[in-house]
Order: sequence, then C-alpha cells, then structure tokens
Amino acid sequence: MGAGEFTGAAGANLVQDAPPRAAAPGKKWIKVVKVQNGLDTEVWEEVDDVAGPTWGPREALRLVNHDLPRVDGPDKVTGRAVYTHDVRLPGMAFAQVLRCPHPWAKIKKIDLEAAKQVPGVYGAVVLESEEVKWIGRPIAAVAADTPEHAEDGVRAILVEYYVQRHAVTPELSLAAGAPKISGNRENVRVHETEGDVAAVDAAFAQCAAVVEGEWRIPVQHHACLETHGVVVDYRGGDSATVYASTQGTFTIPGDAARKLGLNGAQVTAVVEHMGGGFGAKFGLGLEGDAACRLSKELGRPVHMLFDRATEFLAAGNRAGGVHYLKAGATKEGELFAFVGRVMRHGGVGQGSNQKQPYIYRPKHSFVEVKSVLTNTDSSRAMRAPGHPQMSFAMEGLLDDLSYAIGMDPLEFRVRNVPENRRATYERQLRQCAELIGWNKHPNRTAPDKSDAEVKVGIGFALATWGGGGGPECKVEVRIAADGSVEVLSGSQDLGTGTRTYLTAVVAEELGLEMSQVSAKIGRSTYGAANASGGSTTTASLAPAVKHAAWNARNAMFEHVSTLLGVPVANLRCTGGRIEDSTNPDSNWIAWKDACAALGTKGLSAQGEWQSHLAASGVGGAQAAKVQVDTLTGEIAVLHMVGVQDCGLVMNRMATRSQLNGGMIQALSYGLFEERVIDPDLGIVLNANLEDYKIAGCKEIGLVQSVLDDADTRGVIGMAEPAVVPGQSAIANAIMNACGARLREMPLTSDKLLMALRGMKRG
Amino acid sequence: MADEHPKAADANAPRPSFSRRSLFRGAGALAAGGAVADASRAAAAAAAPTAVRYVGMSEIELEINGAAQKVAVEPRTTLLNALRNHCTPPLTGAKLVCDRGSCGACTVLLDGQPVYSCMTLAIDAIGRKVTTVEGVAKGGELNEVQRAICEHDGSMCGFCTPGFVLSITACLERKPDASLDEIKHACAGNYCRCGTYPHLFDAALAAGRALRAKGGK
Ligand code: FES
Ligand code: FES
Repeated sequence: MGAGEFTGAAGANLVQDAPPRAAAPGKKWIKVVKVQNGLDTEVWEEVDDVAGPTWGPREALRLVNHDLPRVDGPDKVTGRAVYTHDVRLPGMAFAQVLRCPHPWAKIKKIDLEAAKQVPGVYGAVVLESEEVKWIGRPIAAVAADTPEHAEDGVRAILVEYYVQRHAVTPELSLAAGAPKISGNRENVRVHETEGDVAAVDAAFAQCAAVVEGEWRIPVQHHACLETHGVVVDYRGGDSATVYASTQGTFTIPGDAARKLGLNGAQVTAVVEHMGGGFGAKFGLGLEGDAACRLSKELGRPVHMLFDRATEFLAAGNRAGGVHYLKAGATKEGELFAFVGRVMRHGGVGQGSNQKQPYIYRPKHSFVEVKSVLTNTDSSRAMRAPGHPQMSFAMEGLLDDLSYAIGMDPLEFRVRNVPENRRATYERQLRQCAELIGWNKHPNRTAPDKSDAEVKVGIGFALATWGGGGGPECKVEVRIAADGSVEVLSGSQDLGTGTRTYLTAVVAEELGLEMSQVSAKIGRSTYGAANASGGSTTTASLAPAVKHAAWNARNAMFEHVSTLLGVPVANLRCTGGRIEDSTNPDSNWIAWKDACAALGTKGLSAQGEWQSHLAASGVGGAQAAKVQVDTLTGEIAVLHMVGVQDCGLVMNRMATRSQLNGGMIQALSYGLFEERVIDPDLGIVLNANLEDYKIAGCKEIGLVQSVLDDADTRGVIGMAEPAVVPGQSAIANAIMNACGARLREMPLTSDKLLMALRGMKRG
Repeated sequence: MADEHPKAADANAPRPSFSRRSLFRGAGALAAGGAVADASRAAAAAAAPTAVRYVGMSEIELEINGAAQKVAVEPRTTLLNALRNHCTPPLTGAKLVCDRGSCGACTVLLDGQPVYSCMTLAIDAIGRKVTTVEGVAKGGELNEVQRAICEHDGSMCGFCTPGFVLSITACLERKPDASLDEIKHACAGNYCRCGTYPHLFDAALAAGRALRAKGGK
C-alpha cells in the first residue's frame, strides 16, 4: 500500500455498467480495479487507444510465465549482493540513535557535549527537543568511527525529561480521565457509520440463526530483516548519493535534497538490494533525516541503520483492533443481517482501514468504524493494510454462522461472496478443498465433538485485493554494437524478482537468452517508477518493459529491413537471430551481426505503461489443516494451501515463493506475533526477535502454492492477497477440529485450553 | 580507550573465554576496556594457557576464508562487526539483524561449526578458522547448496540467505543424507521473514542429493 495508512472507507465493487461518457478521439474506456481506502473498487478509466505490443498466446511464451531462476540469485547466495546495510565508503561514519525511554515526555534539556567528547565520536545532532508522544522515538543521533563508539556516544547523551502521564493501551486510553493524546481532541474518533440499526434489528428477527463475538487483534510488526536505514554520502558540493533500504527509490531524492539544501536532481537514490519492506519503508524517515543532517554537518558519508530495538519501536507496525461482529443467516444459507463495530488501534495514528463486512455481502447491514489513540508509534501500511484484520474477524463469524445453520462452511462461503466474483472464488475454494482433503474430512458441517485427545480440523478463508498498475514507469532498453542488451528502470526490488522478469520480458521480445540481457534497477537516475505499495509494482512496470522491448525490436527491424531487403512486417526475432518469416532458412542475420551494423551509437528505446497489458482485481482462497492437542493445547499447522489468481504470471517460481511467503507470514501472525506492553510502565516488553516470535523452520508444516491459471488476464500484482486469509483459515481449522472458537490472536495454547475448559463447563 | 583499567589479572591463570558480549555491555562499554582471550585454544588445551590482555583498539590476526588477515578491533567487537567493519575489503555477507543470537543472519563457520558471529567476540576467533559466505564458493564456483538455492528460488529479498547457506552447508557436510527434519533442525536458528522456507528445504534436499551423487563417484 501507499505510504500513508487509509482512513475512511468506501464500498467495494462499485461497478457502473457503462463508461461515464463517450471516449475522446484516440482514447478508449477500460475497467480497472483500484484500491480505494484499502478496498478494491472497479472504476472506468480512459486510456490511449493505440496499437501496441501484446503478451501473445500463453502457450507461445518461452520465458515469461515459466520457472525462472533469479538473475541475482548468485549474488545473494555468495554475499556479493550489496544492501544498504553493507555500503562501506571511505571515511564513512556509523550513526546510532538515542530513543526516548518514556511513552510521553516533554524534553527539558538535551546535552550532547559529553557525547561529542567520547573517543571516536565525530558529531551528534538533536532530532526532537520538545515533546515525545510515543515510547522509543529517536530524539538524538551520534556518528562515530565505529558502531561501538557511536553507542558509547549515545550513552553519554544527557537528557532531562518532564515525564507525562500516558495511555499506552486502548483500555487506558478509553478509561475515564485518560490524558488526551492529540491536543484537545478526544482519544476516540468515529470515522464512519453506515446503515440503519433498526432495519438490521428487524432483519435479525427473520434469521434462522444469529451468532456474535468480539475479535481481538494485536499489533503486529513488519520485522523486516534489514532494518530501516540509509547511507547518506554528501561531502559538500552540489551532489549527494543516498543509499536507502526503501520500497520507493523515488520517494528519497526530494526529501533528502531538502534536508541537504540541494535540489532533487542533485541527489541520487540507490536501492541495489533491500532486505524486506512489507509496507513499512517509504520515504526518508527519521533515520534519513538524522543521516542527512549528520552527513551535511560532518562532510562525510553517514551510515544510519536502526538497531533491532529501534526497528520494533519506531519503524511501524500493523494496526491492531477490536471487531465486534454479529450476523444472522436464513436456513437456506443466506447471510441476511449484519452488525459490525470496529475499533482500530493505530498508536498515535488512526490505524488502517478495517471496515466490515469483508468480502461477503449481507443483505442488511450496519457498520461503525472508530479508532482510539495510544502513546505508541503510529501504525504504517503493512502488506494488505486492514485486510488480515478484517479477514480474521469476518471469516470466523462466517464459520460460526455456517455451523449454526448446519451448513458446510465452504458452501456457505460460495453462496455469500459477491456475485461478480463467485465463479473465481468457487473455483479456488474447491481446489483448496481438493488439495487439503476437505471432501473426505469427517466434520464438514459441525466441529468434532468426540472425546479424542488429538484432533485435526480444516478451515478456509478468502482474500481480495486491487493490485492493478498505472502509468507510472518509464523504461529504457539499450542495445549496444557488441550485441549486449540492457534494460533500465529506477524501480526497486523488494525480493519479488524485479531484475529477473525485466530480463525475461526483454529477452522474450528480442528472441534472446536471459544471459544476453542485463537488468539495471534501483537508481533514481534511471527511468521513473512507482513505489512498491499495494501490489502495484509489476502491473505498472512489466507493461512498460514490454513496451520498451517492443519499441527496441521495431527499431531493430527498421535497421535490419534495409540490411536484408525485407519489409519490416515480415521480420521476426527468434533464436538469437532476426529472420525473414517468409524465408527463414536462407534470409536471416545473427543478432550480433545486426547489432554490429548499428555502429557505436547502438540503439535505445523507451517504454511506458500499456493499460491493455495489465489488469487488476484479484481474489484468492486458502485452507489450513491444523492438529490440536486438547490436553496440552498444542496447535500444529500441518498443511496450508493457497490458490491465487494473478493474471499473467511473470515468473512462476518467484510467484510461488511470494505466495508461500504470504501464507507463512499469516501463520506467523496467527500463531505467534503480538507486541506486548506493560500498561503501567508503558514499556514495550518484546522489542527484540527472541521475545517477539516469528515463524521459523519448524513451525510451518507443508505449504502448497497454486497459481490459478484459469485467470487469463494481463499482469496483476499478488503480494497482498497472499497474506490476508492464512490466520483466519487456521483459526477456523482449530474451531473445526475441536469446537473452540479463538477470537484473539495470537492463537496460543493457553487460549485454546481456556476455551476448551469454558466449553466443558458449558 | 578505557580510562579505567580492570584489576591486574594474573597473566598465567587459566581464564574463561567469554563469548557473550552482553557481559561487557552490561558492565557499560566505556568501562569494559579490557577482556581476556586465549591466544590459541589449541595451545590452551595442550599446555598451560598463555592469556593475552587486549585493551582498547588492538590489532589481532584472524584466519578468514583461508587467509590470515590483520584487523584492528576492541575486545568488545563482535566477530560480525569485525568482518563487516574492520576487514579489507569488508566482508558484509554475514548480516547484522538482531545482534543477539535470535535470527541466524550473521551465521559463519568457526572451525566448520556454524556460530552466530554476533555472539562471538572477534578476539575469541583468534586461532580458529573462520568461514564466511564469501568463502564458500571455491574458485568462483557455487557450492551445491548455493547452486540449489538459486535453482529452487530459496531466496527472495536475500537478507537471510547467507546465514542459510552456511547452516545448510554445515549440516550437509556432517550428514549429506540429512532428512527434511534434520535440515529443519539445522536451520531452526535462522529466520526468513520473506518465508522462503519451503523452497529452502527443497534446495537443501536437492543439494544433499547432489553431494551424495558426487561422493558416490
Ligand atoms: S544477528 Fe546474529 S543471530 Fe541475529
Ligand atoms: S529472503 Fe527475505 S528474509 Fe529471507
């Protein structure tokens, strides 16, 4: 998603039947799904109606839509890949920050003098001198010759605080007499209400079954392995280079230039490789601000990468929340009445959009969305902002309701998804069911009520996302006289395999091997590209790459046409040569020879987004099979299946990696992750990777990713939907196994045992 | 850099070899000027140990990827920071992620055993063979594990990858026919936030098969 969190919300799938007006000359209308306020909405968009490249029939593709080993794989397995953390420059200083130890404090005085005297320290700057409203906010930074000396410097900073009364948890913040966190405004804000309570109440009276519950969702952390950070190289003069661990190469130069007193064009951002973002890394940030100031002051490069504790406290999180949901269904299985009251927990921010109902469409509904402020850092976008939270509550409610009317939860889902998505969801759900063994599973319409100690259950959940592209990228393809081909884009690679598909698309178009093309990315001096948010990168970039490659190919044809005496229309690129398609055996020229004839100037072609090569709007279904031990409460996820539509896949292997990764992150969210705060002291108790647990090798079971090839559309991103439903499917599988509905994540043994005990007592 | 010297220690007394930097950190790094390490573990085992005192920045010699290298470190400098910040050229393959033994991104081999280099002091690596991810590919040729990770897409952002390369390499060196469970156990100290585990397991099993095929020849 974009840099900011979403507030407010819009309904989903608002399809107008026809475009708003007739297309202008040279234009046409297409339907695209856009993410608006975190929900996908179909809108009409007017685009250029020009003939351009096409992906061609899928069966004719030689590289794209195949399993492609990453072109930068060897760099990553040998340690050659240089991440921002790894940048080492002559004279470079290492910087560290001092974090405010209080959740709320006014700063009386910050004294950097002693810090500046510490051996090895080059300099120090104050980042905040007035007031801090969340624990862990960096307030000063020190640069030194080694990270150890910078730490010494940080410890020598003297700060005097006026400590304020705080409210670090929603409970404290909602209590009578709680301190007001944002000026005179109330801590609770109402964002929207929709629907008519009285009408919904009347609808409940007509339902065969009604269920309700309160789902509690903790704050999750991105926990990227590479922490937030930059290396700012400004040694005076009129140019600077900023190496950044960012999801947006082009989100860096403008802000850095302002801090350094330069203009945007004078700052080059470099994102060669980056170690994970998941939504938390856009823009220069506090870390970049500190590094720019230190670099400018010291006239030397400054390496400013957060340590792990700062990463947990000051680098973003997924908003938590409480969802009270109530729903009723008819005995035929129609989701008939629905009430959803959502309270978002976004720290000093307002949290991501979590408007219910998610995906499913009740006939009558009333929805209310509020947020409550606390003295913790603001949530940021995190992979499918708002969706996993909505999913956890909604999918649980849906399962409860299907059991209440004695219906198979899979059939209940199929029945209640939006009409225009039913075919896709049904196909995906049935494939999940097949692969996970649902059809032979004994408890399909009611949870297992046997006395067995160890039980196995299966659960399902769905995802939705927009994931379309836009006209944001400019790509260049260069062909040199020696036959080498380069494709250049400023875009960053978060681990999704950007370099590899850039290479593949160009090689495919020019009839070359992957090894004959090299991709250069991650530099703001290359063509503009959008930031990687909301699964929009590939759908924006791949069409522009294809266009650039197609333009390059056409330029080559013009040039070869005279060499071979063949009209352009009859030429084709294949197998490392350009040939006359009417006489391929005798009239052709080797790629190298054709390039040599270009002369030293070579050839360069540009490309831009082609709407007809992209598409948008994806679903996705997942299932989990879970074993629970009712005696010990142990929960083991045995098997997860994900079936995901994503249009034309660029690299099947990398896409499966990403789908696996989404499911594993969701498992981790469901079973382990939670920020824990001491309400009295206001201290985060697990700002480290041993107490904040994420899924490791032993916790994941079998993970199975299936790309839904029935989707024959253009390119669509799929990073977000993959992470949405996993934890919900796991909670539903626990319910299916033993009848215990866990409504609070993480889904731990103690909660399971408590729930089972409660059931026994009735 | 220590302005306060610890009490003079008997240079001949046997000394424990600290590997938990937290000891020094806890004491306050400014005061933690002096630490003692065995000059040579082999020698220590054979004869009365000769303890060497290191104070402030000292030059030590480490054997990294088969070559001796002089590095200037403080007693508190971790092996990880020594590799990344004090070697020429810097060896940045091992990553600093948690800095306290939770994630495995800093894994290196010490005499062939995988260790967290963030939990090992540089001075404790004296006299031992350090292998980093940069030293795994011999003569520019990827080892079986590296090759298999590339082929099975066992790397996404790649930040965890060097750690996995070494954990799996060490595991298969011990046991080329390691089972999936044994591989998971060997990698239980390595985190991957991108979730490449399934493909890493495929890669490790394939690398084991390739190694056995080679060994069989
Ligand atoms: S950095 Fe050493 S274990 Fe995490
Ligand atoms: S590949 Fe990103 S952390 Fe493992």
